Amino acid sequence: MSSTGNLAGRISPGVGVGSGGRAVCTACGHDLGPAAGPWKDHAGVREVPLAQAGGEAYDTGDDAVVLRQFHCPGCAVLLDTETAMRGDPALVDRPAAR
Amino acid sequence: MDPMTFSIIRHRLFRIVDEAVITLKHVSGSAITNEGHDLMVSLYRADGTLLMGGVGFLHHLTSAAEACKAIIRRFAGDIHEGDVFLLNDPYTAALHTSDIYLVAPIHFDGRLVAWAACFVHVTDIGAVNPGGFAPQAPDIFSEGFSSPGIKLMDRGTMRRDVLDTILNMVRSPEMVTLDLRSMIACCNVARDRMQALIAKYGPAKVDDACARLVEQSEALLRARLRELPDGSWQSRQYLDVMGRTARVVLTMTKTADRLVFDFTGSDPQSPHSINCTKWAALGGLFAPLFPLLCYDITWNEGVIRPIEMIAPEGSIVNCTRPAPVSVATVGAIQSVNNAACTTIGKMLAASDKYREEATAVWHANHFAIFKFGRNQRGGYSIGILTETFAGAGGARSFADGVEIGGEVPNPISRMANVEQVEGTFPIRYLFRRRARDSGGPGMFRGGTGGEMAIVPHKAPDGGIDYVISGKGARHPMSEGLAGGWPGAPNSYIWVHAPEDGGDAPVSGAEGIDSLPGRRERVSWGVFPLRGRDALYVRWNGGGGYGDPLARDPELVRADVVAGLVGTASARRIYGVEITDGAVDAAATQALRTTIRQSRLAREAAE
Repeated sequence: MSSTGNLAGRISPGVGVGSGGRAVCTACGHDLGPAAGPWKDHAGVREVPLAQAGGEAYDTGDDAVVLRQFHCPGCAVLLDTETAMRGDPALVDRPAAR
Repeated sequence: MDPMTFSIIRHRLFRIVDEAVITLKHVSGSAITNEGHDLMVSLYRADGTLLMGGVGFLHHLTSAAEACKAIIRRFAGDIHEGDVFLLNDPYTAALHTSDIYLVAPIHFDGRLVAWAACFVHVTDIGAVNPGGFAPQAPDIFSEGFSSPGIKLMDRGTMRRDVLDTILNMVRSPEMVTLDLRSMIACCNVARDRMQALIAKYGPAKVDDACARLVEQSEALLRARLRELPDGSWQSRQYLDVMGRTARVVLTMTKTADRLVFDFTGSDPQSPHSINCTKWAALGGLFAPLFPLLCYDITWNEGVIRPIEMIAPEGSIVNCTRPAPVSVATVGAIQSVNNAACTTIGKMLAASDKYREEATAVWHANHFAIFKFGRNQRGGYSIGILTETFAGAGGARSFADGVEIGGEVPNPISRMANVEQVEGTFPIRYLFRRRARDSGGPGMFRGGTGGEMAIVPHKAPDGGIDYVISGKGARHPMSEGLAGGWPGAPNSYIWVHAPEDGGDAPVSGAEGIDSLPGRRERVSWGVFPLRGRDALYVRWNGGGGYGDPLARDPELVRADVVAGLVGTASARRIYGVEITDGAVDAAATQALRTTIRQSRLAREAAE
């Protein structure tokens, strides 16, 4: 685990750009890989059918519709969510190339 | 120009639009205009570029500019004082055929100096289905009357042949007459007030102020963009119709003082009428951009200049004729709204300075349900369930979303009173209220959507029918932000009454569980509401913001007490244990620790 220190920028409130162009968790400083690459590749992810995740209000009768939760492997804070059709690629957010 | 005069002229332009909107509402008699505020009025410069965007559905501001330009091209040399033009062809500029633009030139001393443009969703346009949204239309030819530009008034005189031709093609000519008359009155007021402004300050000074206003907006937006982080952010929306799922995919890239919205990767155009044309997609991305990035900047051509859109031809966001588009405003256009709201929200949230301006997606899934049939007075009624405009607020970085709080693309949207609807249609509401667990969970919760149920009541034909264009019922569309969850999706259920001869339900204290009978999901097409059957509708909540485990347990308890969050959700999603109406602090801490450990354990196992 590293310190968040002085961030060079942010990709989101929970994901910053640390020294050396690395994506980091802003809560604990955990390294999330190169900022230019998809930080989600280095995050924990839980993918479950919506109905299982959210209960009756989210039950649309289709198990292929999933909720993805991306969390920090260091401190477990939830960094991002996506709804997706199972098998669709994760969305990519990244800072400008420097 | 001295700053005082500039400021006075700027505010006069605001007021001209405001007064024109009031006029439009006063003359119109339709619920969709008066109650739902499905309208727009704006002013345009002599070349058709946007001068002063008004309120209402904001995705019309840029499309009506294109309508002005199309009229200028088509009627060059034949544009006179007192003319009013009608345009509603989606492949020319309009969003869909039922959103009619009236475009009126404004002259001063015989010279064209500006345009006024407005729209309402007319009561009917003669499409295959009543009300304008036509889920059964296979192409644009089935979506009713469509004009790329026609002169409705010539030098102040109504062209009866044109008006009668239009009215001859619609189901409710008296209401459509009122719709058109309200827009003409609106244009008249805008023209008169604009001419009075020019008479007071002189054409050169007003024109100079207008040019400066556009330059000011461009400079202010570019300065704001330079303050925001460079980067790219993605969003994706799903629309399901009859088992087919279509995707709208957006990558928004911000570089210095420019923003590019790239829809490459979106699915090909659909055989169903959820598609939109490129002008509609452009309007769709500006609808959230105006309020989220330009909340203190005049909405005009200057805001448009730093923005670029890439929309592949033949895709669902840039369809080619004759693809059907009548459901566009609640289909691909709204998905463009949502996708742009998400990416702009992500960019704002990545900025320490602008994080408080970020929002998760608001009410992302309109449900166009048009009721039609013989009413309790023997007449014929067509009208939308205006609950679709009630919406739900997305959560912000500092606060929950507003319960049933409207939507971003229309800052003045609202719904009709129950009594208004019951007075117009032979139906009765069993309940209409906030929907439990509909707001997207998060450190700050998305605003709740609503739920309602209606049954036939004193209907001469035993009930009515309705057209539903409920795409997206399989997918939550109000995306969360920064770890917040999406709002719960829409739900449409036809409750078939039991065949026991019992009375129709008269109350709904327990929601849909109060309604006996077999449940059938409906979402697309024309369905009956007859006998003792009921129609239940739940609409989506707003997206949440931040990790739900970071939400103050007392706020979760308050939500449970208010019936906005269920105890099961409080425990499973928020990790909050409530015992005897109070937060059990120790159990909550233990539960949250367990949930966090399960996240990490899963990571270790994988």
